[in-house]
Amino acid sequence: MQSKCETDVRRLADCAVIEIRGEVDGSAAAVLSAAYDGAVADGSPTCVLLDFARVDYINSTGIALIVSVLARARAEGRQVIASGLSDHYRQIFVITRLSDFIQLYDDVESAAAGVGAAG
Amino acid sequence: MAYDERVLVSFSVPSEPGNERLALARVADAVSGCGLSSDQVDRLKTAVAEATMNAIEHGNHNQPDVDVDVTVAALDDGVAVSIVDRGGAHAPAPDAGVELPDLDMKLAGLQTPRGWGLFLIQNMVDAMDVSIDGDLHTVRLVMRSQPTPRPRDPEGGPRAEQV
Repeated sequence: MQSKCETDVRRLADCAVIEIRGEVDGSAAAVLSAAYDGAVADGSPTCVLLDFARVDYINSTGIALIVSVLARARAEGRQVIASGLSDHYRQIFVITRLSDFIQLYDDVESAAAGVGAAG
Repeated sequence: MAYDERVLVSFSVPSEPGNERLALARVADAVSGCGLSSDQVDRLKTAVAEATMNAIEHGNHNQPDVDVDVTVAALDDGVAVSIVDRGGAHAPAPDAGVELPDLDMKLAGLQTPRGWGLFLIQNMVDAMDVSIDGDLHTVRLVMRSQPTPRPRDPEGGPRAEQV
């Protein structure tokens, strides 16, 4: 199945921002993995921000991909935060307990401010 | 039958990965005007998507020439969605000791990152019923139109009753 997920990666202070667009499902595995590789390529980001503001669909296999990203980041000593989730997907992050490990923000700006405040 | 039901729409989708999106869109369209809140519609869409994915993958083994059949019915107090595949007893009963997804274990590499589908379904709808008749495997999801509290967490949140 062809992925309907696209990403852009940019840097915001110590945070690598992965802006995700489209659908986060199992077919997005290669796209998300490549985005993460690119985001941490220089080894320096202490934080990875997943921005879901332009994501319109996440399913259980997409949740599994997010778990994999989180596991990899934690193994590398990086914090993962997220922004732009709809109320519904925030609810799913809560019931899966992803929100126990991924701080949720309304948007990229508030996430950046939150990380800056924490740092 | 516990409820007076009126069929709103019945349709089929070929068993190809991704076709759960077709099912959830048609279900969402069918239940508009049934008194569900937007939050309830979002939860029902996620449950329908997950149940349809299971039907496509585990029930019909991704065979495009085998359909998943979906029926949406209005109840006195909500809606019911039935999703039927040809997998017979492919899926264990919801209370048959299926390993619950545990994020701590997944992050520790002790569970596969996958395995969230049934968990999501149970947390999204008010009731879920699985029945088997020969090779027909049916998952029936119920969302009641009166407000239902949002699930809060895997330990304490309300889960779908299993009929």
